[in-house]
Amino acid sequence: MFKKSFTLALALALALTLTFALALHAETPAISDILKKLEEIMEITSDISSKVVLTQNKIEQGVKIIEMIYFRRDLDDSFLIVITAPEAEKGNGYLRVGGNFWMYRRNTRTFQHINRDESIGGTDAKADDFEKRKITELYAGTADNKGKEIINEEMLGKIPVYKFEVKAIVHDVDYPKKVYWVKKDDYLPLKEQSYSLSGTLMQTAYFLNYTQINSKYVAVKHIYIDEFEKGNKTIVEISNISTNKLDDKIFTKAYLENLSK
Amino acid sequence: MRLLFTISLRNLFRQKRRNILLGIAIAVGVMILVVARSFSAGITDILFNKIVVRVAGHISVAFNEEGKLYRTIFRDRERILTMVKNNLHDVREIEEALGIFNRVIGNGKSDNSILVGIDLSQNLSDETRKEIEESFRMLTGDFTDLGKEGLENPVILSEEKAKYLRVGKGDTLRIRFTNVYGNNETARLNVAGIVKNDNIFMQSVIFSELKNVKRLMGFKEYEVANLNITINNPTKNAVPMADKLHSVLKPGLAVISGKIRFGNTEKDAAVLGLNSDETSQKLIGSHFEIVEGNKDKIFSKDSILMSKDLAEKIKIRSGDKFELIYKNKFEDRHTVLPYRVTAIFSEKSMEGKDILLMNDEKFYRAYYANLPEANANAYIPEKDNPLYPVFATEWILLDRTSTTEEFQKKLRDISNKKWKGATVDVRTMYEIASDILKLENVLNIITLSAVLILFFIILIGVINTLRMTIKERTREIGTIRSIGMQKRDVRNTFLLESLFLGLFASIAGILMAFGAIHLLSKLTFELKDNPLSILLVNGHLYFMPTIADIISILMLILCIVAATAYFPARAAANLSPSSALRYHD
Repeated sequence: MFKKSFTLALALALALTLTFALALHAETPAISDILKKLEEIMEITSDISSKVVLTQNKIEQGVKIIEMIYFRRDLDDSFLIVITAPEAEKGNGYLRVGGNFWMYRRNTRTFQHINRDESIGGTDAKADDFEKRKITELYAGTADNKGKEIINEEMLGKIPVYKFEVKAIVHDVDYPKKVYWVKKDDYLPLKEQSYSLSGTLMQTAYFLNYTQINSKYVAVKHIYIDEFEKGNKTIVEISNISTNKLDDKIFTKAYLENLSK
Repeated sequence: MRLLFTISLRNLFRQKRRNILLGIAIAVGVMILVVARSFSAGITDILFNKIVVRVAGHISVAFNEEGKLYRTIFRDRERILTMVKNNLHDVREIEEALGIFNRVIGNGKSDNSILVGIDLSQNLSDETRKEIEESFRMLTGDFTDLGKEGLENPVILSEEKAKYLRVGKGDTLRIRFTNVYGNNETARLNVAGIVKNDNIFMQSVIFSELKNVKRLMGFKEYEVANLNITINNPTKNAVPMADKLHSVLKPGLAVISGKIRFGNTEKDAAVLGLNSDETSQKLIGSHFEIVEGNKDKIFSKDSILMSKDLAEKIKIRSGDKFELIYKNKFEDRHTVLPYRVTAIFSEKSMEGKDILLMNDEKFYRAYYANLPEANANAYIPEKDNPLYPVFATEWILLDRTSTTEEFQKKLRDISNKKWKGATVDVRTMYEIASDILKLENVLNIITLSAVLILFFIILIGVINTLRMTIKERTREIGTIRSIGMQKRDVRNTFLLESLFLGLFASIAGILMAFGAIHLLSKLTFELKDNPLSILLVNGHLYFMPTIADIISILMLILCIVAATAYFPARAAANLSPSSALRYHD
């Protein structure tokens, strides 16, 4: 009797586990779907302007706060950045229109052609970072030896998330491997770890606050922690976001010069 | 003539005090000139043969892929090296120039640095080896330690960098950098040696063996980074040799000779890239007939056009998927790429040919990722084919430039025009290192100023001395003219006297110059954090007197003396004997 009951209980438990596993498997979306969804809810397809504050904390250089105003024209991905603080860099700016990318120096009132790979305001940010590139064109989900995608459900603090790994499908990405923690309910990324080509953890990013603009989500506060050079971190805060159509005159040298006065 | 020499020499020693004073003035001038010229030649030698060569080479061949300045790669090392070696003569060295800007972490300290590759397998000339040993004095370890087996990425760094990073021989460094594809990468380096170098710009350099640097950067052994070429007589030969190299680097059409697999059918085909610029698109539009498929998509990024003949042979339709298989030139393997036919075309000059045409971006991605093995039988359009310009070439050869401004514009173009193919650029030190070379011009101006000052010293001195001499010897001139000496001989006597003075004074000046050079070379300058330290060799001033320079200085002085003495000497010769005899001071 006991044996029979035990066998029945075991079968039931197995059935339940299997059902639960299947249900769980059925509910776990494919990484490609998550990436598409993520792109869909975060891609802003209109002109945009905002105030950006970068707080860069470096162990050997201390804290550097850079405030800037950012304008981007969606039509041709042109952008203009004017630095408003600190005083030493106030008025300096960057303008990219078509294939041309200039750096403006207020002290000398000169425009200088620069490369897309150069840093903005001496920070770790590059002009490339302000270009729009779709994540689905750059990365795809990583699969294990059996071809199963590496995606798990777990808790990030108290928030249920999908944790998954992506690898670059093109050569020219900063990080060939990334791991994402994405909220289960709305697919917003909360954490991102970026790895070097040889697999060293280079950077961890936390997306702390989001705001909704025209049904799209914008991360308004994120922290980037340098995992290679411990102690370095950058906090990015975005405010005064507007998606109103921007005048074409904004994306001109004259406007940047005028704004810098 | 012998008599004239005797008279001139005797006359020279008649007014000892005056001639000695003038001789000293000329000797000091010559000494300054020789020292200045030797210093200038030394600086030129440092600039051309120690700095410019290391920074940019006398001539360099630079490569870029996809318009990204950091992607300095050419996929066929052997081919480009053969082209350079076979077409350039009088070459001293050809070296791969590869440096990685990186963030380096030592023991609790971090800093920026440049990891530079040194090719230990290259047979360095004795001159270069000596120069390296003089410039980089090993404090611990040896340069050959860079090739040590069993040590992960052995490196040698400067004393200053080692102190700052708090590391010594045997310690480990970690670096973060961006590889040739733009990916973030990290590596561990082992300190194999520490070197002392006076050049401030070299203090942030970390040396490693070239093959290690290439591996870290993502290069395969058959790929190559920019080439720096050192030649003999660079000031004369750099530009013509660069022009010659440019003319032989003209690319042919890029073609992938492979098989098209559709279902169970396989067929040999030639794959060509189609340039996506406006002119090419117009030409394609006017020559190609799209027999099947979407005409609007033929210029899209993913466009794959198949010739009608090939499509009929393998029975493929537009929209169908197929595979392109080709043998790689390197690594003894095949590349298999899946594609989809965008449209099927027909074109007169390509009738009967099995051809696949791809948008250039897509084509170059496949072509460069795995260079195809050459096939002599593959179809390649003839140069007289009107469609020849629409096909992608093996690389894009950039125009030669002659000034820094033109060169900088070219660099901007590489970044802005986003050429799909790899660019190849032949440069000389005159475009890249013009700022360094301007320093040489400044030094030449200083030398010229010394020459002018010297010229005035001699001019005034010789004219004054001769005038006084002629005045004193007027009656003597009258006497020797009366007893039959010809005008020409009188003139030559005075000329020879001045030339002897110039010659003796110059020889004394040259000897004094060698003494001064010896003393100045003994001085030690501690210019640790001063950019001027690049002009020193081991903390000492560097002079390079040459026989040619000394002979030319001597000839210059004698010419100046002869020119300045000629007119007073002629005036003396033209004196009438009777008036000269009547002359009273």
